[in-house]
Amino acid sequence: MEISFRRYTGSELVFELIDQLVGVAKSNDPELFPRKLIEKYEKIMYERPASMAALNILRYIANYYLEHGFNGLIEYCSKLRSEYDSMLWKSADVASRRVNSGERILTNSNSLAIRRLLKLIRDHGKDVEVYVTESKPGKEGLLLAEYAESLGFKVYLMVDSAVRFFMKNVDKVFVGAEAIASNGAVVSKIGTSLISLIAHEARKRVFTVAPSLKFSYETIYGELMKVPEGGVELILEPGRDEELPEGFTARIPLYDVTPSEYIDAIATEHGLIAPQAIPLLLRSIYGAYPPVIPSLHELFTKLREKHGLR
Amino acid sequence: MGYPQKVLQIADDIKTMKIRGAGRIARSAAEAMKHAAVEYNGNPYLGEFKEYMVNVAKLLISTRPTAVSLPNAVIYVLRSLKGRGSFEDARKAVISYAEEFIKNSEEAVKKISEMGAKRIKEGSIVLTHCHSTAAVEVIAKAYREGRVLKVYNTETRPFLQGRITFAHLRKYGVPVVQIPDSAVRYIMDEVDYVVVGADTVTSNGAVVNKIGTSQVALAARESRVRVYVAAESYKFSPLTLIGELVKIEFRDPEEVVPHEWLERHPGVKVLNPVFDVTPPEYIDAIITEYGVLPPQAAILILVDKLGWTLDSIKYSDNILGNLEKIIE
Repeated sequence: MEISFRRYTGSELVFELIDQLVGVAKSNDPELFPRKLIEKYEKIMYERPASMAALNILRYIANYYLEHGFNGLIEYCSKLRSEYDSMLWKSADVASRRVNSGERILTNSNSLAIRRLLKLIRDHGKDVEVYVTESKPGKEGLLLAEYAESLGFKVYLMVDSAVRFFMKNVDKVFVGAEAIASNGAVVSKIGTSLISLIAHEARKRVFTVAPSLKFSYETIYGELMKVPEGGVELILEPGRDEELPEGFTARIPLYDVTPSEYIDAIATEHGLIAPQAIPLLLRSIYGAYPPVIPSLHELFTKLREKHGLR
Repeated sequence: MGYPQKVLQIADDIKTMKIRGAGRIARSAAEAMKHAAVEYNGNPYLGEFKEYMVNVAKLLISTRPTAVSLPNAVIYVLRSLKGRGSFEDARKAVISYAEEFIKNSEEAVKKISEMGAKRIKEGSIVLTHCHSTAAVEVIAKAYREGRVLKVYNTETRPFLQGRITFAHLRKYGVPVVQIPDSAVRYIMDEVDYVVVGADTVTSNGAVVNKIGTSQVALAARESRVRVYVAAESYKFSPLTLIGELVKIEFRDPEEVVPHEWLERHPGVKVLNPVFDVTPPEYIDAIITEYGVLPPQAAILILVDKLGWTLDSIKYSDNILGNLEKIIE
């Protein structure tokens, strides 16, 4: 059985996806590759519909394959991979410049962008204190705390409910993103919007670290971002022998949407911008706004028709 | 002169936490005061009896110096001695005040549930945090009256009291859906009312309650969702009136992560505060057994209902040393 895409962070998913597709592309099988491409697309739309970096990667690869077939496909994929890698480092680098030595920063979950931010803060010779929420469901915060500890930072771990209690101790908030919408709203790990609201109340700055590839083009045309919810099993406490109350039901949202007014800036590979200035950034990257980019729906319909797949 | 055995027993049970929960502590202390008066076997002089009762009060209050409901109950009963003309008169007063306190306390949750339920409009969705008997009773009463469609309840890490609330509400047939604590803002869109309990209410109307309450209230305010706190009057803290801060306990990190994890990560400090403080401006009303109050009117309960007259406030930084003056 294939591993669920939910175990990866948004950026890890990009790398995993490209690696899997390169593996398939090596077969040069014109039946297999489009079928796998469609499969991955459907799997992401089902498991990670808000993971825009992965969806954008699929957009590029599907578009390339429709135009060029296998000709240069593997090289193209490798180029996308290294480009994404470097834009992620660059975004983290931009964010790291906003951090001064001695500051206390708060973050959640375990995004690769945040891990790289912490790495660069350390590489730049700055010392910070890191406050991390455990980030239920998933408790990825424990992994981030562990990583921050390995870099030699002073780390504080707390439950998600304690954010407002500690916000007064904090200087800045840094979070990762799954997707950025055309109005500057950011989709991130569940709880991020609450953290941002609390930071806003306490007049603390909130920075989102996100390469421009996380932008959701579909939202320009009014599409709403889909935020998936998980099952009851995600809320259980592993290792705790728990008897659930009779008739136990739960709703476990995996992501939430932070409105742009609670985000001070998005650190991208092109620099630090206000979330409301996203259209400007896209215009400078693509030469026009809205950018001329085929929609996912269009591309995958074409791909299905061309190969007689439903 | 010694104290009756039952009084000593109650004092000991409060001290060793055999008697727990704000309500039970308060009622047991009042019971002990009553018993001390009934069993008094000294000389039938007013002065001697007063001195004896003050000593019983000191004994009881000193068992749990940080509990809020305890001094409230004891001083409520002790204040009955004020202005009494004879020993018999004083003894009767102590007994009847103690009985009155116990009765009021028992009826408090019922009254709160009735008044609280009225504040909820028909067909509403309610969110609650942690586990509070008073809050659950408000919601259950409102459900029986057709006012509540559904309840969202937070799981309340690290101790998962949300699971208790879930079972408690299900017992009354209320439809409940649990959410992780991080999903409070996500779900607030669908919510009409937040109903929570309180550990302590301060003199300026701030509410000390389970960690996370203040961010639930903040998210509610952002969404223009009303926040109600269900709190019996003995949860109001007199000491805060003279500026005393409510101390917030940090509990064992092992409630948050397992022992092995802590051992493997000596560089990570796990911070586990039990309570947080919700400022009065995020609370629409505190529902007490005396009525629905704006939080800023908390001082009314302290002064009028708990017997903390403005005059005796000045002694409250050293209650034990000044109990005599309260009854002068």
